[in-house]
Amino acid sequence: MSDTYIVLAIIIAALATYATRILPFLFFAKAQPGPLMRHIEFFMPMMIMVILVFYAIKDVPFGEHPYGIPELIGIVVAFLMHAWRKNALFSIITATVTYMVLVQVVFDSYM
Amino acid sequence: MRIGEIIKLTIPVMMGYIPLGMAFGLLAASMAIPWYYAFFMSLFIFAGAGQFLALTLFATQATLLEIGIATFLLNLRHSFYGLSMISAFKDLGKAKHYLIFGLTDETFALLKTTTITSDEKARIYTWITALNQSYWILGSLIGAALGNIIPFNYTGIEFSLTALFVVLSMELYRKHPSPKPLMLALLIGLSGMVIFPSDKMLILSLSLAAGLLIGLRGWINE
Repeated sequence: MSDTYIVLAIIIAALATYATRILPFLFFAKAQPGPLMRHIEFFMPMMIMVILVFYAIKDVPFGEHPYGIPELIGIVVAFLMHAWRKNALFSIITATVTYMVLVQVVFDSYM
Repeated sequence: MRIGEIIKLTIPVMMGYIPLGMAFGLLAASMAIPWYYAFFMSLFIFAGAGQFLALTLFATQATLLEIGIATFLLNLRHSFYGLSMISAFKDLGKAKHYLIFGLTDETFALLKTTTITSDEKARIYTWITALNQSYWILGSLIGAALGNIIPFNYTGIEFSLTALFVVLSMELYRKHPSPKPLMLALLIGLSGMVIFPSDKMLILSLSLAAGLLIGLRGWINE
């Protein structure tokens, strides 16, 4: 990863984030959001997050040892812990530690 | 309102931002990203999930266009926070620019639930936003430092991202529980992973999701 790439990437990410925050102040200072906007607002963020779960595991080699088992177990742990305690930090830490133990100890040929 | 009272207001955010910032810093360090870049990201981007996504994109050497589009789409929800802050931020002068920049999920929640007399608003809002950002930056720096100082096998720590996305999916679903968009997203994600070329999977899947969400609006709201 070159320094130029990181610096440019940070600038782009910063501008893209800022754009999402300034946009309504530029365009909707007077108008009210319509039903289509509300529809997108309701469901798009959830759909993005679900797709990001798949994006995060898209390069896992499911056809060879350990067949994506650590990832699947990690996701199930995150899901169950969050359904149980509804504490985001607890769910993330438990799932990550489970996954780290799986790839470092249980399936160590994975490394 | 005294500064002590303002700090007290922001303690719940501190409890969340310092550990999450540390996770971000640790992850950056484990990817051999120097601490000052983690610092600049928290200073100039200031978006939780957005910064984690950025790290993932950096690691896969995503193009700048992809980084721009993916970050924009992921953070698009902030637009809806801005929409409901338009009247609250009116006539706040220069403070407004920083307040808009710092409008994260948690800052929005705090500003929205704090009632303030108008003459103190600019000062209190700015303090709340600045305190929140300082917790985030502090957490990032601690995490980046820990990652560089403590010799530890961090293999697998990047899974915190996957777990974060699972947790946020559940949180967002709970806000507007509707099985049809969820089924669509699961289908798009799964088939996108299998069918789309790996390096374009995110952009194609997100565009498809946006298209179907709008195109199938009638069916979804049945």
